[in-house]
Amino acid sequence: MSEMIHTPAPNHKPHHGTVASYVIGFLLSLIFTLVPYYLVVQKILEGNVLVTTIIGFAVLQLIVQVVFFLHLGREKKPHWNLIFLLATVGIILMVVVGSLWIMHHLHYNMSATDVRDKVASDEGVYQIQGTPTGTCANGTGENYKVELKDNRAIPDHVEAKQCDTLTIINLDAAPHDIRFGSHEMLIPYAGEDGKNIRPGRNMIITLTELGTHTLHDHTQHDLSASFTVNR
Amino acid sequence: MKEFLLGKLDAHALPHEWFTIGGTAAFILGAALIIGLITWKKRWTWLWKEWLTSVDPKKIGIMYFIVAGFMLLRGGLDAIMIWLQQALSSGDSYGYLSADHFQQIFTAHGNIMVFFVAMAFIFGLINYIVPLQIGARDLASPFLNTLGFWLYVAGVVMVNMFFALGGEYAATGWLAIAPLSGTQFSPGVGVDYWIWSLQVSGIGTTLGAINFIMTILKMRAPGMTLWKMPLFTWGSLCSMIMAVTVFPLLTATLFLLFFDRYLGMHFFTTDLGGNAMMYTNLIWMWGHPEVYILMLPAFGVFSEIVSTFSRKRMAYYKSNILGMLGVSAFALSVWLHHFFTMGAGANVNAFFGVMTMIIAIPTSVLVFTWIATMYKGRIRFGVPMLWFLGFIGVFSVGGLAGVLLAVPPADFQLHNSLFLVAHFHTMVIGGVLFGIFAGINYWFPKIAGFRLNERIGRYAFWCWIVGFMMSFIPMYTLGIMGATRRLDHYDASTGWQPFYVLMLIGGIIIMIGVALQLVQIIASIMQKQRLRDTTGDPWDGRTLEWATSSPPPPYNLAVIPEITSRDAFFEFKQRGGLPRAKYEAIHMPKNTAAGIYISAFAFLASFAFVWHITWLIVVGIVGIIVCFIARTFNDDLEYTLSAAEVEKIEKNRLKDVRSEPRQGRDDDEDMGLWEFIKIVVTWALGLIGIRRRSHGN
Amino acid sequence: MATEQGHVAESHEAQANDRIGFGFWVYLMTDLLMFAVLFATFAVLRSNTFGTPEYHELFSLPLALAETLILLTSSFTAGLGMLAAGRGDKVQVLTWFGITFLLGLTFLGLELKEFSEFIHEGYTWRSNASLSAFFTLVGTHGLHITSGLLWMGTALVFIWKRGLNAPLVRKLTLLSLFWHFLDVVWVFIFTIVYLMAFA
Repeated sequence: MSEMIHTPAPNHKPHHGTVASYVIGFLLSLIFTLVPYYLVVQKILEGNVLVTTIIGFAVLQLIVQVVFFLHLGREKKPHWNLIFLLATVGIILMVVVGSLWIMHHLHYNMSATDVRDKVASDEGVYQIQGTPTGTCANGTGENYKVELKDNRAIPDHVEAKQCDTLTIINLDAAPHDIRFGSHEMLIPYAGEDGKNIRPGRNMIITLTELGTHTLHDHTQHDLSASFTVNR
Repeated sequence: MKEFLLGKLDAHALPHEWFTIGGTAAFILGAALIIGLITWKKRWTWLWKEWLTSVDPKKIGIMYFIVAGFMLLRGGLDAIMIWLQQALSSGDSYGYLSADHFQQIFTAHGNIMVFFVAMAFIFGLINYIVPLQIGARDLASPFLNTLGFWLYVAGVVMVNMFFALGGEYAATGWLAIAPLSGTQFSPGVGVDYWIWSLQVSGIGTTLGAINFIMTILKMRAPGMTLWKMPLFTWGSLCSMIMAVTVFPLLTATLFLLFFDRYLGMHFFTTDLGGNAMMYTNLIWMWGHPEVYILMLPAFGVFSEIVSTFSRKRMAYYKSNILGMLGVSAFALSVWLHHFFTMGAGANVNAFFGVMTMIIAIPTSVLVFTWIATMYKGRIRFGVPMLWFLGFIGVFSVGGLAGVLLAVPPADFQLHNSLFLVAHFHTMVIGGVLFGIFAGINYWFPKIAGFRLNERIGRYAFWCWIVGFMMSFIPMYTLGIMGATRRLDHYDASTGWQPFYVLMLIGGIIIMIGVALQLVQIIASIMQKQRLRDTTGDPWDGRTLEWATSSPPPPYNLAVIPEITSRDAFFEFKQRGGLPRAKYEAIHMPKNTAAGIYISAFAFLASFAFVWHITWLIVVGIVGIIVCFIARTFNDDLEYTLSAAEVEKIEKNRLKDVRSEPRQGRDDDEDMGLWEFIKIVVTWALGLIGIRRRSHGN
Repeated sequence: MATEQGHVAESHEAQANDRIGFGFWVYLMTDLLMFAVLFATFAVLRSNTFGTPEYHELFSLPLALAETLILLTSSFTAGLGMLAAGRGDKVQVLTWFGITFLLGLTFLGLELKEFSEFIHEGYTWRSNASLSAFFTLVGTHGLHITSGLLWMGTALVFIWKRGLNAPLVRKLTLLSLFWHFLDVVWVFIFTIVYLMAFA
C-alpha cells in the first residue's frame, strides 16, 4: 500500500501533456489576448465587425485553453467531458442569446412601470399600495386621510400635490368595495382598480397621476369622494 | 451591541399569531415526542451511527422518504387551508384567513410541494433504486450524497423556520416574481426565508445530480451499455442532466435577488435601471425544466411497472429513451410560454409557442410505448399498475390542456386563471406524485422486506382518483368561467361558490386517501410476517434490483454479473439464475458526519443572512470551509470487506432466500379496512382495560 | 495473491480518480452556467447606467490587460506544476504552484484596487443596475479566485508536510482544472466587459 501512495499511478501521466504543449498553448493565448487588445486600442476596426472579431478571438482563446491546458478529447471513449462541455456551451448560448432576444422585445413593448403593474395584478399580491412608484422615486410628501363612516366619505374632496399619499380608512362595520372612477365607468387610478376594504382596514395610494379623480363604493350608490392632484 | 448580536431579530419576531403559535407548538411537541421516544428507547447511538451519518444510498433514500412524507402532510394541510378559505369566502363572508396570510399559504404550499416533497421523493427513489439497477455497490461520491441530503434537510428547517422566528413567509407566490420580492414591496423576512430555503436545498440538488451522473455514466455493471440500461435509470439520468443544467441558473438568479435585498443592488428593482422582467426570464429558465426534472424519473418508474406487470419486455425501448431525451432537450427551450402576455411580441411568442407544442410529441411517444407494452400482455392489476393507469388518464387530460395553453392567443385568455392551476396540478400530481406512489408500492418489498397491503392500497388509490377528479375538474371549469388564481375572496354573484365547495370536498377525499396510505403502511407492518418477501423478487421482475435479497445487503450485489441483455435479471432467471462467481473483496465507504456539520453551518449562515447577523455569517462560512478542508484532506475514507467476510454474510443471508417466486395470488387475504379498524379498536380498549386492572391492583 | 490484490486496489483507485475527475468536470460546467446567468444579466443591464459615466470612461484598459496576462501566466505555471507532479518532483511542484499562488494573489490585488477606486469615486453596486451587474460578474470571478487560492494554499501545505502522495496529486489535478477554468471565464470577462466597453 505504501509504495502505491508514493508513486502516483502511471495512468495519470498521459493526461498532462508536455512542456512543449504548455509553451505553445501559453504563446497562443498571449497572441489571442494581445491582438484583440491592439485592435480595440488602435481602433483599427469599428462597430459590429470589431465586436464580432474580439468575440471570435475569445472563442479561439477558449479552444486554446481547452486543448492545451485542459487536455480535452484525449480521454478514452466515450468522451463524456467533451460532450458535457459542448452541451454546456450550447446552453450558455441559449441562456445569453435567448435572454437578450426576449429582453429586447419586452423592453420594446413594455415599459418598466407597465411590467410592474402587470406583475402586480397577475400575481394577485397587493403589496404595491402606498409605496413610491417610478414617478415618486424621491419619496412621498404629505399624507391625506379619507374616513369612511356611516356610509359617507369624510372629507369628500381632497386637494393634494403629486407624490402625496392618500389613506382611505373604513370605520364602518361592513366592508366597502372602493373602486376608482364612477359607477357607470370604472377608471383605474395609476394602474390600480381599487380594493375591497374590510372593517377597520385601510388602503394607501401614492398620488402619481395628475388631475381630478373620483372613487366610490361599488356596492352602494351614495358613497363617493374625489381628489385633485396638482403639480 | 444588541444589533451586533442579533441583527434584525427582536421580540416582534417571536410567534404571536394563531398560526405561528400553533405551528411552533406543533413542531416543538413533535420534536419533543421524537426526542423523548429515542431517549427512552436508548437509540441515540444507533440512530447516529446507523442512519444519520450513513453514506449508504439505500438508507439515505429511506431518510428522504421519511422527511418528504412529513412535508407532504404539511403541504397538504396548506392545500386544504387554501380550499377551505375559498369555499367559505364568498360575498359577505370573508373566510377565516387574512389576505396576507392566504398569500403566504399558497406560496408555502407551492414551495414545499415542489422542492421538499416531489424533489425529495424523486431523490429518495433514485438513491435507493439506481445503484441496484446498474449493479453498483455505492455512489461515485458517497460524501456528496449525504451532503446533498443534509442540505435538503437544512432547507426543510429553513422553510418552516418562520413559524418560530419572523412570523411571516413570503407572500409573493411560489417563484417570488420581482419586483414584488424586492425590499421595496416585501420588506419583511418572508422572502429571505424563501430565498435561503431554496438556495440551500437547491445547491444540495446540484451536488446530488452531479453525483448521480457520475454514478450512472461511470459505474454500471460490466456489459451494461447505455442501450441496455433499465428505463428508470434512463429517466433518472435525463432528469439529473437537466438538474445540473438548470439548477445553477436558479442558484445564480436567487443570488441576484439576494444581492438586491441584502446589498441594495438594482438587478430587479423598479428604480435605477433594474429590470424586473429579467428575473421572470431567468427564473422560468429554471422553472419550466424543473417540472420535467420531476417528471422524467416518474416516467422511468412507469416504464418499469408497465413492463413487469404486463409480463412483457418494454415495447419500443429505444423510442421510449428517445422520447425522454427529446423531452429533456425541448424542455430547455420553452420557458417564455410562462410569460406570453408580458409583451414579448408576436415573433417571440410564436417561436416559443411552437416549441411548446412540439414538446407534446416526445411525450406522446412515451405514452404510446407504454400502451404498446400493455398490448397483448398478461396484465396484473396490482396497486402499482393501478397508479399507472390513473396516471395515463389524468396525464393525458393535463397534457391536452397544456397544448391548449401553448397557443399564445388561447393563453392570453386563460393565463393567470384557475385553468392554468388545474393544468399544472394534473401534470404534477398525475405525473409525478402518482409516479412516486406507484414506485413506492412497487419497490416497497425491496426496501422493507415485505410487500404493502394490496386491498387498502386499492382503497387509497380510488380515494385519490375520485378526490382528484372532484377537485380539479371544477377547477378547470372555474378557470374557463374566468376565476383567477390566488383569490382569497370573490363576489357571490359570480356563482363560483358551489365549485369551490366541490373542490374542498374533493380535497377532503384526497386527504382520506392519504390517511388510507398511512393505514396501508401500518396494516402491512402488522401483517409483515405474512407479506414477507423471501425471494427478493416478488413481482417476477426484470431488472437487476430484484436479483438481490429484500432488503439488500449494504454492498447490493455480492458478485456483479456480466450483463448481456436489456432485461438482465429476467434473462438470468431464464438461464437458471445468476452466474455463480468467486467472491472478491469489496471496498465500502466509511460513514461520515461531515455532511451534517457542513449543512448545519450552511443553515447557520443562511439564517444569519435572513436576519443580518454578521458574526454568525462569518461563523457559518468559516465553519463550512474548515469542514470541507478537513473532509477533502482526509484520506481514510474506505474499509474493505475481505472475500471470506463477504462469503460469510452471503451464506447467512441466502439461508432464508427461496429460489422460486411465490406462486398464486393471495392479495385478497390481505387485511381489509374493517379488520384493521377492529384491531385498532381492540388494542385501544385493551389499553384502557389494562389501566383499569392496574387501578384495581 | 498479494500482487493480484495490489492490482485490484490500484485499478479501484484509478477508477475512483476517473470518476472524481469527471464529476469535477460536471461541477465546472454547472459553475459555467452560473456565470452564463451573470453574463446574460450584464449584457441586458449594461446600458442602464442612470447617470454614472459610460464604462469606457471608467475602465483602465491597461490594468485589465495586466490582469489578463497575469492570469494567463498563472495558468501556464500551474500547468508546469502539474507536469512536475506527474514526475513526482515535490520541490518543483511547490515552486511552480507557489508562483501560481503569488500570481493569483497579485491578480486579486489588482482587482480589489480597481474596485476600491470605483467605490472611492462614488460608483458602487448600489449606484445603478449596470454597476450592480458589473460588480457581481467580476466579483464572483474574484470570489472563485479567492477560493482557488485558499484551496491551493492548503494543498501546498499538505504537500510540504505529507509529501506528494496519490490523493494529493489527484487534488492538484482538480485544482489545476479549476484554475484553467477560471482563466477561460476571465478571458470572456476581459472581452465582454472590458474590451467591448471600448468597441
